[in-house]
Amino acid sequence: MLRPRIQPLALVLAIALCAPMLTLSAQSAGSPTSVDTLLDGSALNDVWIHINARDWQDLHTNYKDGTYYPVDFEWQGVNLRNSGIRVRGNTTRNDHKPSFRIDFNRYVDGQDLFGLKAVVLNNSWHDPSMLHDDLSMLTFRKMGIPTPRQAHVRMYVGAAREYAGVYVISEEVSKTFLTANFGEDNGYLYEFHRQDGDNYGFQEQPNLGWYVPRFGPKTHETESIANLYIPVRTLVEAVNDARRDNLEDRLGEYLDVRTFITELAVQNFMAQTDGLVGGVGMNNFYLYRFAGRKLSMLIPWDQDNSFSRMDMPPSENMGSNVLAAKIWDEPKHRDAYLARLLDVADLVSSGWLEQEAARQYEQIRAAVYEDPLTPYSRDDFDQANAFVQQFARERSDVVRQYVASIAPAVLRSRFNGRTLTLNLPRR
Amino acid sequence: MMPARAETWIVVRPVIVVAVLSASLFAGALPASAQVKLTFDKHPAIDFGNAFTVSVRVKSQNDWRDFPSEAGSDQKNVFDPYRERIAVEGTIAGRVLYHVEREFHDTSSPWKNVYLETRVLHGVHLQGGQFNMPFGLDQTTSLMNQDFNYHSLAGAFLAPGRGLGVMAYGDFFKKNLLAYEAGVFRQDGDNTRSAQLQDVHVAPTFAGRIVVKPFSKWQPLYFVRSMETGFAFTDGELPAGLYNLKGQTIPGDGFVQKAYVNGRRQRLGAELQWRPGPVGVQAEAIRVRDTRFGQGIEDEDLPNLVERAWYVSGTWLVTGEHKKDTITPARPFLNGGYGAVEFGARLERLSTGNGPALNPAVYGPRSPDVFPTADLVWTTGVNWYVNKFFELSLNVIREDRTLPRTATLSSGPVWSRTFRIEFGL
Repeated sequence: MLRPRIQPLALVLAIALCAPMLTLSAQSAGSPTSVDTLLDGSALNDVWIHINARDWQDLHTNYKDGTYYPVDFEWQGVNLRNSGIRVRGNTTRNDHKPSFRIDFNRYVDGQDLFGLKAVVLNNSWHDPSMLHDDLSMLTFRKMGIPTPRQAHVRMYVGAAREYAGVYVISEEVSKTFLTANFGEDNGYLYEFHRQDGDNYGFQEQPNLGWYVPRFGPKTHETESIANLYIPVRTLVEAVNDARRDNLEDRLGEYLDVRTFITELAVQNFMAQTDGLVGGVGMNNFYLYRFAGRKLSMLIPWDQDNSFSRMDMPPSENMGSNVLAAKIWDEPKHRDAYLARLLDVADLVSSGWLEQEAARQYEQIRAAVYEDPLTPYSRDDFDQANAFVQQFARERSDVVRQYVASIAPAVLRSRFNGRTLTLNLPRR
Repeated sequence: MMPARAETWIVVRPVIVVAVLSASLFAGALPASAQVKLTFDKHPAIDFGNAFTVSVRVKSQNDWRDFPSEAGSDQKNVFDPYRERIAVEGTIAGRVLYHVEREFHDTSSPWKNVYLETRVLHGVHLQGGQFNMPFGLDQTTSLMNQDFNYHSLAGAFLAPGRGLGVMAYGDFFKKNLLAYEAGVFRQDGDNTRSAQLQDVHVAPTFAGRIVVKPFSKWQPLYFVRSMETGFAFTDGELPAGLYNLKGQTIPGDGFVQKAYVNGRRQRLGAELQWRPGPVGVQAEAIRVRDTRFGQGIEDEDLPNLVERAWYVSGTWLVTGEHKKDTITPARPFLNGGYGAVEFGARLERLSTGNGPALNPAVYGPRSPDVFPTADLVWTTGVNWYVNKFFELSLNVIREDRTLPRTATLSSGPVWSRTFRIEFGL
């Protein structure tokens, strides 16, 4: 007989018990569901690195080592426990404000941040504006070249949640990146490591061992040196063997010349001094050979040294790279390159780049002002950003004038509807 | 930072210098009439009367191994020159015993037992140098006297092993009714992770062991007279770092998750040995506790890390010899008999970790829980003591591993076989 009286009470109790769970669900619903909101740059996100104080100190003391330390990575309520952190970088590596790689898989197999197995936190050590890399990557993408997504974040560290400054967070060129951009991840991916004293630009190197330290495998890491590097050497041989007037026929199955021309055009428009035709040879790129094919492409990485100067001629250092030299020396390829430069100029002169630079500057300004570890003053930051915006505003005219001065016909042909299309495998 | 090898040399050098100087002095001082005696019983020895003695010992163990091919494990060579050692030992003035031993197979730490010892009082001996810390029955038994080809997991990974220090030892009452060993060592023994020994040079560790033979005086109870039981402990400073004890599978791959520790490392051990006639029974249990002060991601204290291991083994000399540390066949092969044949079996387990093995994401080097892993090992073997110099041993080993789901090593039953040719002089 008690049963009918208990049922409403049970219902009330059940609701009362479930209320906290409903609240939790609401919190969960507010949590991010993809990594887009971290990497699309629409907001300045906070990331919190939970790390033992001793590890944080050791990491700075031994910043030249690649030692991983355990951390919990927290972003908007998402907490990836037992991740690994290490210092990264070459010329930007320092013990004051190091760059980091955070590996979500280091101690926990299969752990990821909405598909990303690792992220990079760049210190923008050589870039007082903190915008060079991200704006360059955005320009590449708008020109059809896949590049890693980036955004600025405020980084906090340790139990006391100390502010460690503004960083540029970036996805890695990894299997996840390959899948997202090419619909496959089982090809051969290499990260290029420039060696001290190198001034390399596709010159032939018959010894396979020469490639080993320079092309670090990021996939198929355990395969034999022959499997990994004979195809790379074959690509280099093809670049060297190809006649400049017949580049696409000879090289086509190994490298899409039009894609390479586009990459050159973007880098040289952006006045990048440490890219495919930098002053010290090729640098800052990944090489990806598509699965089951001989075709490879170069994927840009780390464009901190772009925006170097307004008047940098787009032909600078073209002779330092075997393939770039052939393109520059062959009129039809040079015209294609100049046309692609003008495409970039058109894109940038639309005002998009200047607006984006201004938006990002406003987004990070207050946080950078408060950055306790930045090596630059507020004036340095403001002036560098003013130059970035000026560059975005004026560089197109500089490039157009340059093209007009050496190839007026190319400039005129733009009004005849000439366009270039890229030949990349697409998902 | 001084490499460990150089530090060992600091200890080795004085022992050698003392031995050589003593030999020179006593040889020069000996009267012409003094007897110089050259003997070759089990190993060559020279006695300069009671003034100085020197004997040379050779230990050689070569293995042929059949290990499983496993993903995540380097291919192991079939042939393994496991141990190639020469030891020089003797007495000086009949009062001081010296021992210097060098391994030629292990180039990273070639000096093994290097020490001097003497009796200072009745029932009190002092030993100083590098030698096995007084903990554990299996670990302190020479591998030449082992019943199986490999040390037990307890002895190889949880016992401290060899260290630099000084120790007092002795026995009370007649017939070794109560024996004791107690010492202080510069740091933990060489079974510890090599990174700890290289990174931290001084972390004082105390070790003690008591062995009781409760029935040794009972003449009527011959059957249980050989029974002995012991207890041991170590207590030492544990530097902060990724220094928890390791554990390896039979082929030698690490299976224990690395974890940060800090504070003190304490071991407790219990042991039992019983050798009634041709039969031998041995058992041991070890528990190690590492504290983890301030080792959490946010500097918080973490729960202690506990590792446990035990084994039980039994042997039977079917040819009838009495079970001892060193077996000498009553009828050597090609000398009137077939040598001595012994069968043995050992069951053992090493386990570590303290979490529920459900979600790998909760385990990291600074997480409160360490991934629970274990290795349960069955070893069966036969030893053929050809004569007092040669022994052939065949072991068949079955491991049953409990590993993380994502581990690259094989979980579950894994079989290995090892065949050893041993030569001792």
